[in-house]
Amino acid sequence: MQGASPRLTGLLLLAPALIFLAVFYLVPLGSMVEESLRSSAADLDPRPGLSLSQFERVWGSGRSWRALERTVRMSAISTLLTLLIAYPIALFLFQVRPLWRTAILITVFVSLASSLIVRNYGWLVTLADAGPVNQLLLALGLTEEPLRLVYSEGATIVALVHYALPFMILPIYGALTRIPPSYIEAAQSLGAGPWRALFGTVLPLSMPGIFGGTTLSFAICMSAFVTPLMLGSPATAMISQVAAEQFLIQLNFPFGSAMIVALTLVTFGILLAYTLIIRMLFRHHA
Amino acid sequence: MPDAKGFRAVVALLATLGLAFLVFPVIFTGVVAFGGSIFIEFPPQSFSLRWFENIGRINRIWDATLTSLYIGLLTAAIATAMGAAAALALVRSPLPAKAVLTSLLLSPIALPIVAIGIALIQFFILLGVAFTWWSLVIGHVVLVVAYPVRTVAAALTLSNPALEEAAGSLGASPWQVFRTVTLPQMAPGLVSGFLFAFLISFDNYPISVFLVRGDLTTLPIELFNYISQNLDPTPAAFSSAYVAIIATLILLAERRWRIISLSIPR
Repeated sequence: MQGASPRLTGLLLLAPALIFLAVFYLVPLGSMVEESLRSSAADLDPRPGLSLSQFERVWGSGRSWRALERTVRMSAISTLLTLLIAYPIALFLFQVRPLWRTAILITVFVSLASSLIVRNYGWLVTLADAGPVNQLLLALGLTEEPLRLVYSEGATIVALVHYALPFMILPIYGALTRIPPSYIEAAQSLGAGPWRALFGTVLPLSMPGIFGGTTLSFAICMSAFVTPLMLGSPATAMISQVAAEQFLIQLNFPFGSAMIVALTLVTFGILLAYTLIIRMLFRHHA
Repeated sequence: MPDAKGFRAVVALLATLGLAFLVFPVIFTGVVAFGGSIFIEFPPQSFSLRWFENIGRINRIWDATLTSLYIGLLTAAIATAMGAAAALALVRSPLPAKAVLTSLLLSPIALPIVAIGIALIQFFILLGVAFTWWSLVIGHVVLVVAYPVRTVAAALTLSNPALEEAAGSLGASPWQVFRTVTLPQMAPGLVSGFLFAFLISFDNYPISVFLVRGDLTTLPIELFNYISQNLDPTPAAFSSAYVAIIATLILLAERRWRIISLSIPR
């Protein structure tokens, strides 16, 4: 940019987005946090005092606490599975011809871009009682009767992994492309076998990609809403679902707000701890 | 990457299984969509196109598709205009506290999606404008504005600012420089930002579910309702058509603007 005052131009360019987000994002979020600090839904009490009683209810109530705990556990499992499936795919992209590489990347991208409801529906029919997974299990003689696979934690995790996979493959592939091939050649010419080269050289050097992918994948799973709604049951509800219920059915805005604020704090807390641990472990690669 | 026959074979096997997992539900849904039975059956005993024809008969789905299309295009246009301007400022202008501004603009991606819906519905009820067309568009813009910021910033970071200086020193006016040099450099970021913004708005359920009521409804909401109430393969036909359209759009955008290389994080 040039002209009389580049700083003024910059501010003018930024203004629409900043003003929009201030009005329709920061203010509503602020009032949601305020709402979560009210003591009851029908807060006709004129006392302006704020309290943490809604948060005490989140920890105290069996359903919301279990949903939060379940959300953390399912997100961690899904993230780990996503990493295990995504890493070989990212490595594989280097082995194949450029045409195949483009084809695989486009497939990943189409998956990323296609509707989440459509994808969840795909799993709903795939895992149905008469679906192909059950038929395969029956044909292999692994089960006598079709298993109830849908409406469970397992089905939700499968769909969450499917959702998060592109968000894991792309950053890992990005990190792998930045490793100078000479590093790997050096490791191998110094006598490291392919596995030793993978775990000793490639894996640590791709850590930024793994970190980016796992962080994103975990955050996505933590805020999952439609997926547990479609593939889980009330008994496997995740926290966004339980909070939404407070808004749409119970009309208890303070309690629902407190759950969402708690979810956000827990997510950021875990990601912060994870970041610190990764930094400590991989300091020498930074 | 490490080289040895056995190693490559193991990687190829694991990757093939992973990719099969990725495409399996899509392929399976596609097969089911052509089945003749009124229930989902696999393998289909007979083939028919009736479920594709049936998509057109569900009025609410069609109306909702149109609403989602309008809202998606409007959302993407507003978000891309605001996001691209902000990205241009962040990459090319001398501004204070750039890191803080950038993380503010990108933060809606990191927040639990339901939080945005919940925060906005309370806000709109307070203002008395809840459950209107515009409140839905505003909610979607909040959700997606970060994407064009990111893609346009990526395109500008990859481009060469010296070209703009050269054009300026050769006598081009600032507007000419912007139109003939900066804008073409931003193009891939604009296209992929618009595409992302549109697709995310078009597919959004968690924010819309708070912001719609009655006649104001969107495609994901109607699709979700249809799936929870009906067992016939119409959603399978719809899903297959959806994926086919998305795949075509992405192929075209990739050939013209190379959007995939932009979306690989650097």
